[in-house]
Amino acid sequence: MASEKWTGTPPGTPPGTPPGTPPGTATAMVTGTGVVLPGAKDAADLLAPEPLEAVGRVGPERLPSGRGARKKDRATLLALAAAALALTDAGLLDDEGLCVPGDTVGTVVSSNLGNLDTVCRVVESLSRDGTAGVSALDLPNASSNVIASSVAIRFGLRGANFTLCNGATSGLDAVGWAALAVETGRVTRVLVIGVEPANAVVERLAGGDAPVRLLDGSGAVVLESSASVRARGRGARATVARYTRRRDLTTAVGVATDGGARVGLWLPPQGETRAERAPAGLGEFGDVCDLGRTLPSASGALGVLQCAAATAWLADPGRRHNAAPTALAAAGGGATDDAAAAVLLTTA
Amino acid sequence: MTEVLITGAGAVSCLGVGVEAMWRALCAAPDSRPQRVGDPGARVRVPLFHLAGTGPPPGFDPDRDTETDPDTDADPDAHVYGRASRLALTAAREAVADAGLTSEETARSTVVVGTGGGNTERTRRPLDPALPYAPSYTVASAVATALGATGGAASAANACAASGYGLGMALDMIRAGEAEVVVAGGAEAYARVTLGCFDRMGAVDPHACRPFHRDRQGTVFGEGAAVLVLESARHARRRGVRRHYAKLAGAGWSCDAHHLTAPEPGGEEIQRAMAEALADAGTSAESVGCVVPHGTGTRLNDVVESRVLGAVFGERVARLPVFSLKALLGHTAGAAGALGALTAALVLDRGTVPPNVALGDGQDPDCRLSLPQHTPLRLTGRHALVNAFAFGGNNVSLVLEEATP
Repeated sequence: MASEKWTGTPPGTPPGTPPGTPPGTATAMVTGTGVVLPGAKDAADLLAPEPLEAVGRVGPERLPSGRGARKKDRATLLALAAAALALTDAGLLDDEGLCVPGDTVGTVVSSNLGNLDTVCRVVESLSRDGTAGVSALDLPNASSNVIASSVAIRFGLRGANFTLCNGATSGLDAVGWAALAVETGRVTRVLVIGVEPANAVVERLAGGDAPVRLLDGSGAVVLESSASVRARGRGARATVARYTRRRDLTTAVGVATDGGARVGLWLPPQGETRAERAPAGLGEFGDVCDLGRTLPSASGALGVLQCAAATAWLADPGRRHNAAPTALAAAGGGATDDAAAAVLLTTA
Repeated sequence: MTEVLITGAGAVSCLGVGVEAMWRALCAAPDSRPQRVGDPGARVRVPLFHLAGTGPPPGFDPDRDTETDPDTDADPDAHVYGRASRLALTAAREAVADAGLTSEETARSTVVVGTGGGNTERTRRPLDPALPYAPSYTVASAVATALGATGGAASAANACAASGYGLGMALDMIRAGEAEVVVAGGAEAYARVTLGCFDRMGAVDPHACRPFHRDRQGTVFGEGAAVLVLESARHARRRGVRRHYAKLAGAGWSCDAHHLTAPEPGGEEIQRAMAEALADAGTSAESVGCVVPHGTGTRLNDVVESRVLGAVFGERVARLPVFSLKALLGHTAGAAGALGALTAALVLDRGTVPPNVALGDGQDPDCRLSLPQHTPLRLTGRHALVNAFAFGGNNVSLVLEEATP
């Protein structure tokens, strides 16, 4: 945060925040998680060392159903399912609906492949059948922000509503943007969702001639300002201590760990850079949670799933043993990635 | 609080390539007509679009620069980047040159690009395997790579509010000290899917994009890109910047959480976005001298926005100049917020509000706004307000402030 004195009150400043509190002094804490993956019922399941059953697709019993759901694309359904779990886990949602004012909750969705199935189908229909081949519902469903918008509408979330499509680092970028929004007082709470659908269209788009295994699933974390956590009297699971995005993995990790802080849990990138050896910027670390080994290519969902897993690890002293109370998630940094990102989480 | 200056700008649209070409066209307020698209795959009833102008960017040197007209097959970038990426690159290169950033300063900068569809021609790949795969985030990556910017590239995909959100994100990044220079903007290229879906809904106006006109029948989309160089005042001072267009002083974000395509009729969240942007800028409605509205030409949106502007500005709305940019450019979707912000910056920089495309006596009586026509007006007021809204009720308002000497 810049050193200039802040004298105003940022929009969305949480109740109880002392007047004149500068943006950037609030802390973003994780108060809820949700995971919708084949073979994983919650964030703790992501810590399993063996591959999950995530080769298949999420079963229909875990997705929203009913008339409205039939009109939504798969990525939106997966996101809605994870959103409900995370909001409930954070104590923000019950049978009556949202428990806090809707304008205090923002939404950030990270997805690289998102609704491409809808877009490609519409393009093909237009070419083959003209406008007659297009449904009225194709218009909103082909919109790039349909996932985040649908989540906001379903749960009444009227805070800032972001859709990020940032490549390999997208999920961690989403967590970083959400933390910044909380820290600057733009919004009190942010529901962060990472989602990718597996279907024939995205497999052909992403894989070309080579078959590719893609994740079908979603993860979500709820970030909340420390003032709001205190005001609600609810315990937080973890704290987002630092986010960084740099050109290469070594630099990103070095900045996130401030040049070598001890890391209790290391969550490496997927893909070619997920080698067992850690990047040069990473000092001593304890456990490893390698989602590259246990999940198919998670693309824009990866970073959010990593943060959900890290939260589960940090919140469980039995798992941590004597390891440092920090978890570092990294993504990107491969030969075909434009950047690398890292998020450092600590115990709450 | 850290001041964020706009020290460079670039643009490409149906008005041509370059900021000065855009400003001349804004002041001339030509009768802007969309083109019929030549996409044989777009079997639609109203195949209209404002296609981006052609020609090399200002300062283009064929002996030095490698790019050429982004429309031609001779463009070597055409084989690497999609059309949205090339439009963004054209604007970004102009903006960086305009700001006078050195290669070292550019290398330390961050890139944020908002785009709704990205390189949408690449979504035809399942039908045409010869096309390379390029998801939308590659627009920001392409700009960062071409500029050599290593501070990270971020892609906001908030549909028609994407670049407005992108500029807001850039503002917060600089204020939070995460970046000192952000090359931020938006880009949108012709998209068959957008044209087809709006055509299916009967939401493409067969005449022109006519925001606030009583006979408007929907919108007409347009291609375009605008990129601004945003930097902290401290960084600008340090490198000896002598002038800037304006300051990006505030942003306000909200979500209707109401309907996937229709705005919330009461405009409550739109009003909150505007109010928060003004508060974030540390100013009030009285200081605003010009509004660049979202105003797309769709019936309900224009009415709701007009009512909310009336609520925000009170009786002053009857004489507060509103500049209806989309009547000239068409609806540039993910680029609209950035093109609106650039227009507001130029209004503040030149002290002039350009004349609107003439509506004659055709202004919708339900859109009680001041839309000055025929001659430019002298700007009164230190601030300008820009709105960008999107499907799903994604709202962002930006407040720009006049430059200080």
